[in-house]
Amino acid sequence: MDEPSRRRVFRTLLHLFPRSFRDEAGRDMEHVYADMYDEWEREREGAGLRFWLSLVWDAGRHAAAVHLDRAIRNPLTGGGGEMMGSVLGDVRLGLRQLVRHPTYALTVVVLVAVGIAGNAAVFRVFNGLFLRPLPFENAERLVDLDERADAWDLEYTGVAWPDYVAWSEGNRTFEAMAVYTGVGRNLADDGEAERIDMIAATHTIDDVLGIAPILGRMWSAAEDVPDGPRLVLLTEGFWNDRYARDPGVLGTAITLDGQAYEIIGVLPAVAELLDGADVWSPLQGDGDGWYLTGLGLLREGLNLARAAEDLTAVHKGMISERDVNEVTTPVVTPLRDRYLGESRLGAELLLAAVGLVLLIACANIAGLATARALSRSGELSVRRALGAPRGRVARQLLTESAALGLVGGAIGLALGVWGSRAVVEALRARGDFPAWVQFDLDARFLLVVASVTIGSSLLFGIVPALRSTHAPGRSASGRVTGSRVRRRGTATLVMGEVALAAVLLVVGGLSLLDISRLNRVDPGFTTENVIAYRYQLPRLRYPDQAAAVAYADQVVASLEGLPEVESATVASLLPLFDHRGWFFVAEGAPPRADDEPNPVVLTRSVGPNYFRTLGIRMLQGRAFTDRDGREDESWVIIVNEEFVASHLDGDPDPIGRRVANGTGPPSSDDRWFEVIGVVRDVRHYGVDQAMRPGVFLPYRSQGSRYAQIGVHTRGDASEAMAKVRRVALDVDPEVPPFGMILMETRFADTLFVRRASSLLFGVFAAVALLLAVAGIYGVVSYGVGQRRKEIGIRMAVGANASEVLAQVVRRGMALVVLGIGLGLVSALLAARPMASLLVDVRPSEPLVYGLVAGILLAVAALANYLPARHAVTSDPMGVLRDE
Amino acid sequence: MKHQWFLILLSLAEGPLHGYGIQRAVLDRTGDRMRLWPAMLYRSLSTLEGEELIEQVPAPDDQPDDERRQYYALTGKGRERLVTEGEALAVWAADARKADAR
Repeated sequence: MDEPSRRRVFRTLLHLFPRSFRDEAGRDMEHVYADMYDEWEREREGAGLRFWLSLVWDAGRHAAAVHLDRAIRNPLTGGGGEMMGSVLGDVRLGLRQLVRHPTYALTVVVLVAVGIAGNAAVFRVFNGLFLRPLPFENAERLVDLDERADAWDLEYTGVAWPDYVAWSEGNRTFEAMAVYTGVGRNLADDGEAERIDMIAATHTIDDVLGIAPILGRMWSAAEDVPDGPRLVLLTEGFWNDRYARDPGVLGTAITLDGQAYEIIGVLPAVAELLDGADVWSPLQGDGDGWYLTGLGLLREGLNLARAAEDLTAVHKGMISERDVNEVTTPVVTPLRDRYLGESRLGAELLLAAVGLVLLIACANIAGLATARALSRSGELSVRRALGAPRGRVARQLLTESAALGLVGGAIGLALGVWGSRAVVEALRARGDFPAWVQFDLDARFLLVVASVTIGSSLLFGIVPALRSTHAPGRSASGRVTGSRVRRRGTATLVMGEVALAAVLLVVGGLSLLDISRLNRVDPGFTTENVIAYRYQLPRLRYPDQAAAVAYADQVVASLEGLPEVESATVASLLPLFDHRGWFFVAEGAPPRADDEPNPVVLTRSVGPNYFRTLGIRMLQGRAFTDRDGREDESWVIIVNEEFVASHLDGDPDPIGRRVANGTGPPSSDDRWFEVIGVVRDVRHYGVDQAMRPGVFLPYRSQGSRYAQIGVHTRGDASEAMAKVRRVALDVDPEVPPFGMILMETRFADTLFVRRASSLLFGVFAAVALLLAVAGIYGVVSYGVGQRRKEIGIRMAVGANASEVLAQVVRRGMALVVLGIGLGLVSALLAARPMASLLVDVRPSEPLVYGLVAGILLAVAALANYLPARHAVTSDPMGVLRDE
Repeated sequence: MKHQWFLILLSLAEGPLHGYGIQRAVLDRTGDRMRLWPAMLYRSLSTLEGEELIEQVPAPDDQPDDERRQYYALTGKGRERLVTEGEALAVWAADARKADAR
């Protein structure tokens, strides 16, 4: 928090005290606040939530006491000033009222608590994702660097090393620039290896992120060259867990993938926020694939557009040496937007939805409070007759509302923080968001929740308060029927509530319908009883492809030897994991023009059991056998439906056709791959994502040190996981399986954010419906209660009960129908921005709108009918006698 | 006498202090166990001043930077009160020690 806003907070706290106290001590207290803040920043770990909470608690508690002290000491003037003294009086009066009518107080507190809890929970997540400053220095100037290739149908390709070198040398808009890539490593000290997360980065990464080692040093430019020395820096957490913060680790070696790396330093905890890295090491970049993640620190005062222009000029300027840069273009995106931009709309809609719920709750309370103020008009007019000015009565009502609102708000805050914990933990655990996203509570969160609470208290308090100043000073014994003004007021509330509820129901309905349809989409492979994991072979012991293939053969054979295992397979990529793209061209296809789209083909190399293990259906031809992919065999390939459509002109019988890797025909005739099979499309990127053309090559011909294993078990896969792990370690203790997960879990994870937000939309809609129904019921009950005399007389003179009933219900339903109409039209507008969030449902889906209208009509009819029936069935003479 | 009042008087026994100075002095004396948060501190100061146990004094000459801050010092009455309270506490402390010995 910067200094001016801190000062504002301090001043606000001081305003809790009586003016006289503030005049005496305010300036000095401000000094102490500032001194304490400095102390916290300097000597403790920063002035966090605890600090602010303690300050607020201290100020609130003692301010109340000082008010009381001074009021007692000087009852004539109310001590702390006329205003505060009488507010205290109001509070006292209010409390007495509330103790006498606990149901009302309780209802208001519960309504506020529910509304605030929802808002606090959603805002906590929103704040963490989009508002909190990133935990890096100069966060506002940090940008993500990447490349885009429209012709390959790739939104992001990753950065290629030669491009980075050219950018960082040629740009004039960046203060610093770095690229890195996440590379896991097997850490083997003695015995079984363990998997750790490492990032390999250019030596400039510390400048970009503003991170300096807390011990030792960063690597230098001279060390960051191909075949340079093997060096690592530990991150603080890893240093702590593994070396118990021993400064003696400097200069010692750590064995990663069988090779010794010298430890040259320790990085502060913030370094772990980059991909959750345990260690950093020099990238020593080379090659020309697009495998790097780029980060840039913009020069002060420069905007993104300038930077993008600058990089593009450099990038396109090197086309003569690197013609592929014709296709690729640099992309510069603020760091947060790059990773969270897609979630923003959904989060904003959730925030809006939960805000509407609060609004409905406020409307409900306003209705209740108005009814209550009217039923108290006897008391209020007595007070006025005794000389209380109108404003005073209004203020009393407002004070009561505020007191109840604050109590409800405090409970709601606690509930919201508690309730959001589960969501926050799930989001963290799942790793849907980068590690630098922090959901800890902060001062902004508290301020927003507090202002929302105060705002809503004013909102629902102001209606009855204003009304009390306008109401005629009627006779204390008068029994008037509801005035026209009053009825119009409650009518507006009912209509508004119904309309808002309709909007929320539509949004919730669309979202739930979408997720339920997605849940039914067949991903094209079986997720049940399949275990997936990754492994990486150390280069020293597995120097070539033959060694890698031998390892895979051995692991698969051992796994299939287990009684629990139905079948197992090796694969470069299993469904739902990562992406690797190649270009392909079909024999006889006309050459593509440079600017003609050439979609990247998802390319996987798989073992013979791949299709069986994952339950992927062969549509034509055959699966791979053990012979496929051997040196002496011809080259074969299996393709998916999408590939047949995009590369083979939708050929109904593509078996035997030939394709080649690359953008043009191969150099020699035996480099063609022959299509031997067609399989069903698999939703590799998740059921909510589009599928690409895809091909499979025999693993035997492509084997690499980094691969995945899929295991299909006979029984419950979760029970077999430990055994699978054991078998893998038995084959080679230095090759630990990592990222082991049930395919079912992985599949559910891909839809987690969607499912969670649909659920929230659904819950908000349900709460809104409940509140609206309660609101209608309350208002109708009250209205009917006011008209009991009229109804009683009509019944007494022989009116038909069902006619009277129908009349009451009809009047109520007219409002409801208007509200529904209004709500559905607003929902149609509100749902429009949702289009990009929905996969399988149009925002104007008639089914949802019809259902919402039906539900609202039904429950509203019930809410109208019940109190009306009560009125006509009660004994008319009794009613009249009561009068 | 309330705990925090006694500790404030005790801190001022060594000379005038401003608000934050008192807070630090009490913290140090209680081994960081008792922090007089600002509102509590100034409410206590206001009470003690009302009882004429302390008074506002100008900043000491050796603290020129702090002349914007209000310093507090013990009054004669305050010093007397501190001593009497201290003696009472000493008696109780001795009694408490006996309890431990039994």
